[in-house]
Amino acid sequence: MSHCEATELTGDTYTRRFDTGPDADTLIVNMGPQHPSTHGVLRVIVELDGEYILRAEPVLGYVHRMHEKMGEVKSFTQYLPNMGRVDYLHAMAWNWAYVGAVEKLGGVEVPERAEYLRVIATELNRISSHLVWWGAYLLDLGAFTPIMYAFDDREIILDLLQIITGSRLTYCYFRFGGVTADVTPAFVSGLTEFIARFKSRLPMYTDLVTNNVILRKRCEEIGVIDVDMARRYGATGPVLRGSGVAYDTRRAEPYGIYDRFDYEIPTFPEGDAMARYMVRMREMEESVKIIEQALARMPEGEYLNAKAPKPAWKPGVGEAYFAVEGARGKIGAYVVSDGTKTPYRVKLRAPSYCNLSLFAELAQGVILADAVSIMGSLDLVIPEIDR
Amino acid sequence: MSAIFDDFPVPATQVPGDFAKNGQTLSIFLEPAGIVAAAGYMKDKEYFIEDVTGLDLAEGFCVLYHFAHFEKPGRVTLRLLASRDNPVVPSIAGVYGGAQWHERETRDFYGIAFEGNPNDGPLLLADEETTPPLLKDDAKRAVLQKAWPYAAMGVNPVPAAKPAPAAKPVAAKPATPAPEVTK
Repeated sequence: MSHCEATELTGDTYTRRFDTGPDADTLIVNMGPQHPSTHGVLRVIVELDGEYILRAEPVLGYVHRMHEKMGEVKSFTQYLPNMGRVDYLHAMAWNWAYVGAVEKLGGVEVPERAEYLRVIATELNRISSHLVWWGAYLLDLGAFTPIMYAFDDREIILDLLQIITGSRLTYCYFRFGGVTADVTPAFVSGLTEFIARFKSRLPMYTDLVTNNVILRKRCEEIGVIDVDMARRYGATGPVLRGSGVAYDTRRAEPYGIYDRFDYEIPTFPEGDAMARYMVRMREMEESVKIIEQALARMPEGEYLNAKAPKPAWKPGVGEAYFAVEGARGKIGAYVVSDGTKTPYRVKLRAPSYCNLSLFAELAQGVILADAVSIMGSLDLVIPEIDR
Repeated sequence: MSAIFDDFPVPATQVPGDFAKNGQTLSIFLEPAGIVAAAGYMKDKEYFIEDVTGLDLAEGFCVLYHFAHFEKPGRVTLRLLASRDNPVVPSIAGVYGGAQWHERETRDFYGIAFEGNPNDGPLLLADEETTPPLLKDDAKRAVLQKAWPYAAMGVNPVPAAKPAPAAKPVAAKPATPAPEVTK
């Protein structure tokens, strides 16, 4: 049997397209789509020489739902719940990206109090997203206990966000011209309590985990991304800031009221998995700082513009690109309207889609076990990649 | 950031935008043949690629390339028009590796072929024979022909193939573009 016939009989189109090349000593392995380290249905085809990866190719689309088509058949308002389902870890940022684009398109004003509520909800959600990443990444690397601590903290955040949104995961909190509900006294006292508690937890995580030598050995000098590579692939978020570039959409393209807060953009110049780890750990501290300031300065007032668009609202003809900083990077919503109540086009820029696209180049020549560490350090959310 | 690029390598029509209003600092309309040179120019200027996407218009497929910069604010969008009968656009994956997936996605959604993409298989959709899901029907397309903001601004999306760029800076932006839309 010729080599060609053998490949026809095994695998699917993706494996067949992944040409084996002339070297017969290599092994082609499918990682996923049900591999525990891919955190969802991501599949990576790798060609191995012993333990070393010669080539890697991610295969996407296992949870593809065609959100962009759904945007073209629903009204502007009906599309809102979709945004909670693109990225299940940082749903608030996706809420903001789409709502921000439509508000730009239709010139909708947002009341002052609603701006603060948006910041509080989004930053709280960013912390819970980073906590899940932190626990899951360490799980990938063989540390079981941290995810228990992470979920312990995250549980409180989910309880808090449930008070204002009614959901624990797929938030649909934003509306054109504001948010769905105001905070309650229980939320404010719960949040104050959480911040005090969380501030004492973060140093403990540093002591117990971040400075652990086993973690360091799995992360330091692993998967080094330089600035040119980030530029070529459009890497953003902690992946980019772990390569020393202080690029954060909250600063680069200020939106909402982020220009009023005092916070840092943490960067680490090493470009390795550890740098990306450190960026996220520092970012949680910065998010706490933002929440504290927002809570202290939030004015009284409406949480939703009294003239907020009704369901059959038409934003007028035009286009708008609006970007926000999600937990994984720059989330972009490009909305085109032809003046009807249905968007003509909704393009969603998913940050981990771009961040993962550099994996094929980055994984060349590394040991398979390090590829797991690299993939985890990119903080992938598969439904967000597939959309 | 300067309003337009003086040394843009290919014939193009450059239209400054209003970032606060629609998130675009500069829109550059060019011929499909010039896209690789244009991408190389953006790379030299240290722009990073945000995304590549399509738009189904009455005139054909518009392909949009969004770029932003790590240091400079704003967004530069390259726009070109591919014919509906033979939608073939040169791939910029050789310049921006990240474009490879964006182009494959656009191929999935619109059926636009990106010539020179090192891996032009389907990415998000099931293999082969899938009808591109974002194609519009004719009636729907005709509405947008008038609505396309730059057409409303009196800019021809397809520049004449003449060497002089002769940028047409339409500084005054209409408060509501395309007042002639009737639908």
